[in-house]
Amino acid sequence: MLAALSNPVILLASEEGGGGVEFPPINLIVKWPALFGEDTFYGFNKIALISMIAMIVPTILFVIAGRNASLVPRGLQNVMEVSIDFIEKQVVMPAIGKDGMRYLPMLMAMFFFIWIGNLFEIIPTSHMPANARMANPIMLALVAWVMFIGVGVKHHGLKYFKDALFPPGVPKALYLLVTPIEFLSTFLIRPFSLAVRLFANMLAGHILLVTFSVLTITLFGAGILAIAGVLSFGMLVAFTAFEFMVAFLQAFIFSLLTAVYIGGALHPAH
Amino acid sequence: MFLASLAALASEVAESDPTDINPVVPDEIGEIFWGAIAFFGLWILMRYVLLPPLLKIRADRRNQEIADQQAASAADEQAEQVRRDYEATVAEANSEANDIIAEARAAAEHERGEIVVAAESEIALERQAALAELESQRSSAVSGLGDDVADLAVAAASKVMDASLDEPVHRSTAANYVEDAR
Repeated sequence: MLAALSNPVILLASEEGGGGVEFPPINLIVKWPALFGEDTFYGFNKIALISMIAMIVPTILFVIAGRNASLVPRGLQNVMEVSIDFIEKQVVMPAIGKDGMRYLPMLMAMFFFIWIGNLFEIIPTSHMPANARMANPIMLALVAWVMFIGVGVKHHGLKYFKDALFPPGVPKALYLLVTPIEFLSTFLIRPFSLAVRLFANMLAGHILLVTFSVLTITLFGAGILAIAGVLSFGMLVAFTAFEFMVAFLQAFIFSLLTAVYIGGALHPAH
Repeated sequence: MFLASLAALASEVAESDPTDINPVVPDEIGEIFWGAIAFFGLWILMRYVLLPPLLKIRADRRNQEIADQQAASAADEQAEQVRRDYEATVAEANSEANDIIAEARAAAEHERGEIVVAAESEIALERQAALAELESQRSSAVSGLGDDVADLAVAAASKVMDASLDEPVHRSTAANYVEDAR
């Protein structure tokens, strides 16, 4: 249990080799054993736990905020209304327009789910962003993919595919070049790039923090080099703050791009 | 304490399979399963439970704002109407006052004219009466003066001639002379 919930930063100073730092292999810093249901489709590990927390936390916040909502907002109600305004004004309206308000619940859920999942990167005793594993990013990217194709087909029928693959105004001869590119970029690369962007950013941040953690611990135990450990520790603190910003930024970017894709499917002329 | 737990963890990890994985490939189906449950659960909760109260209160607030703005506009309009009515009343009062002043001025002018005419008429009558009186006084003075002059002339002539004169005849002569002199 401890191994499943703790950060497996390992310090293996090899005395025989004259001392040194051995960084843990990738599977040891991102792969977690199941708390139950090992090797089943419902295997519940640390990532699954963070995902559930990422659902429960916004639920609790919104329930408390909406329970005694008043015309003059105060406290938590104010904060949650600001979050709604933020998604509405920074994501929905610029990317989709007024028609996009029906997608507000999905985009709110997406933003909070990603953000809180990311924040576990810097929460003590966790230090693992849920999105540093490919499961959630690929699942969310598939949701975005199905959504924007579904919206396009719902509003434009099969003409959506025709307009997407054969953009109007392009000389017919160029369709030989444009159509495969559009097919790849719109229907294959988009979901993949969405997932990889989120996953890679969070994994890189996670590896960065692990690296500086290992380095700091090693240097503090290396006699005179402990002075350099202070610098390493400072970098660790700075990158922790940086990851706090990245956690928010990646959630915002993922939500915004999803909204942009939906907006593009809804209004292909734009 | 922390280093001890790390050391214990390190020995635990050292016993596990160190084979590296491909992190891009989702290899734990359970993570996708629970992630999907959590995300779709949150989506459904957002759609039906979490957002509606706050969206409703936001809409109520906007409606309240619109209603308040409309009420403020109506109050402004009403105040403007009151101001216009007040200004109209003031203008009407001013106009009425001007009319009254003009009427009063005209009446006063008319009365002044009448008074002046009456005064001039009275003055003319009094002047006429005074002139008549003056004429009468002058006539009586002149007639008195003729007698006195005749008496003086007869007396003077009597003194000069040292003889008694025929008084009635000479008096008549003197009186005729005075009468001719007038």
